[in-house]
Amino acid sequence: MRDLLFAQGVEFPCGGHGRCRGCRVHVLEGHVPINDAQRERLSAEELAQGWRLACQCTLEDDLVIELRQWDAAILVDDTPFVFQPRTGLGVAVDLGTTTLVTQLLDLTTGRVLAVRTALNSQARFGADVMSRVQFGVPKDGEKQLRDLIRQQIGSLIEQLIFAAQIPEGKITDVVVVGNTVMHHLFCGLDVEPLSRYPFESENLGLQSFRGQDLGWKLTGDAHVRFLPCLGGFVGSDILAGILATNLGERNDLNGLVDLGTNGEIVIGNRQRLLCASTAAGPAFEGARISMGMRAATGAISEVIVEDHTVNCRVLGNVPPQGLCGSGLVDAVAAGLELGTIQSSGRFADSLGAWTLAAPVVLTQSDIRELQLAKGAIAAGIRMLLDRFGASAGDLKKLYLAGAFGNYINRASAQRIGLISFPLEKVEAAGNTALLGAKLALFRPEEEDGSYASLRQRTEHVALNADQSFQETFVEEMVFP
Amino acid sequence: MTRFEELQQAIIDGKAPVAKELTDKMLKEGIRPGEFFPKAIIPAMDEVGRRMRECEFFIPEVLIAARAARASSDILRPLLVGADAMASAGTVVCGTVKGDLHDIGKNIVAMMLESAGFKIIDLGVDVTAEKIVDAVRTNQAGLVALSALLTTTMVNMKSVVEALSAAGLRDKVKIMVGGAPVTDAWAHSIGADGYGKDAPAAVELARQLAAA
Repeated sequence: MRDLLFAQGVEFPCGGHGRCRGCRVHVLEGHVPINDAQRERLSAEELAQGWRLACQCTLEDDLVIELRQWDAAILVDDTPFVFQPRTGLGVAVDLGTTTLVTQLLDLTTGRVLAVRTALNSQARFGADVMSRVQFGVPKDGEKQLRDLIRQQIGSLIEQLIFAAQIPEGKITDVVVVGNTVMHHLFCGLDVEPLSRYPFESENLGLQSFRGQDLGWKLTGDAHVRFLPCLGGFVGSDILAGILATNLGERNDLNGLVDLGTNGEIVIGNRQRLLCASTAAGPAFEGARISMGMRAATGAISEVIVEDHTVNCRVLGNVPPQGLCGSGLVDAVAAGLELGTIQSSGRFADSLGAWTLAAPVVLTQSDIRELQLAKGAIAAGIRMLLDRFGASAGDLKKLYLAGAFGNYINRASAQRIGLISFPLEKVEAAGNTALLGAKLALFRPEEEDGSYASLRQRTEHVALNADQSFQETFVEEMVFP
Repeated sequence: MTRFEELQQAIIDGKAPVAKELTDKMLKEGIRPGEFFPKAIIPAMDEVGRRMRECEFFIPEVLIAARAARASSDILRPLLVGADAMASAGTVVCGTVKGDLHDIGKNIVAMMLESAGFKIIDLGVDVTAEKIVDAVRTNQAGLVALSALLTTTMVNMKSVVEALSAAGLRDKVKIMVGGAPVTDAWAHSIGADGYGKDAPAAVELARQLAAA
């Protein structure tokens, strides 16, 4: 069932190993046997009602099922930007761990001619970068992941060409950005160094290809560039984020936090930049939240406190089905405000679960998952500021980027201590990876796309290797 | 509230200075050092474990409680000699396996085992199989506790089991494993003796394995 449903866009957060509940389906007609993995993840009641984990089911007969997941909106970018016109057409690709966004641009007018998005087809082999690395360490796994992603981007480009009704040979440039794991898997580089301490690969540089080398239907000499990585797991998506926010060209100190499947942090100015990554995404994307889901129809996306009661906003104006990242942050902020949740994260009166809007509840362990995620990010920001010799007050602006960073309520983020800056300093920045990739399309001559000078000024900080990180992380787990 | 109950409460509440002060005071009052563990420290940490299991306590509370327990036991350990010598529950060599830097889970398990009366040889993070074999031999440890938080590094637990076998030590030690991606099935498949799903389970498992 996994293979069938994946082709239809259903996600498998744990990679189809029966370790989470993300792919559960409701069997309406037909028989599907139950195995141990399902008994462990689903209650007897759920099993009796016909709920199953799709990743654990083998199909023998026709079935009628109802999906627990809905189409998720993928964050694109339509920010106006300054550019130097050139001739030809270009494609910008944001290759995310979970989602793919491609835009076709007229390089003379800067106009976006077409947009295509998709879920990263590698995701059926694991939701996070580490499970992707694990799958890619054996040579045949690496090749399988490489071929999958190259084919998928190639087909998205064909769709762009078709949608914009342009001749095939017109595309002159393609710029791809992504984290280090996506970079390595796309370029066919060995991911083994990323599987273990110190998590550093030697192949971080710019990778160039000809369209036809990748099997793409790009005639002529279309030039495909995967922009260079910054260090550790911090890749060219963050390099693009620095370009988009102009972080590396300003005199004052600014920060960028990109919250997607991974959490990445950059702070810096024109002299020096520091960057780091944390594995904080699963909580925000709902993978380990009991009723978690991505921001899609049926998700509670906002929780507001009015007259000591909570009001929930549900995407698509349908009955609530689950909780997405922004709703989770809002719910915990509301709980702290109402005194339902203590600053330790514990429910005040040993509630097992707090009903936000029936049937959607927030459980004690959901709060714990959020504490881990927000603790890691808050600790990362604090440590980078420390390293820089700066304090929170020295930061002029903090940009929140990425699917989750863009939609999070800033006041709630502040309430739970994810960010501890005055609200006027915090700005939602959208998909800065895609915007940066677009900017790079217009500057092909810029150091030949290697961004050597920017990379020289950027230092990657391995948070986990720093003794004080663990302590800071634990301190940041509690709510202010 | 008895003195022992007061000390238990101070540990559960994570009040290290209070735990230290109480321990000093109780010793002055003539309480034997050997009585503290069975009557205050072990039951207090068992209660912390229970609360952790019920999601009432989380990592920060468990860590500060363990710190308070340590404030008390640091005073007591040098005094546990002669007639007050306490039978050690066993010696445990613990560490996070090679390639992995995750420290917190391993530290919590180590502190809870220590409070349960085990002697702990903590080798830290990114620990090679050879280092574990050496530590087992040098300290004549009866237990090895391994942690891994990454699917890419948990395979190194298997190397430790193999290295202990190759060194002829496999029948002298029990091996327990834990960490987010680790499962009972995984523990069996690599030939370990047990899997602890959380810190309290690890303490329980260590007690069983040490008694076996």
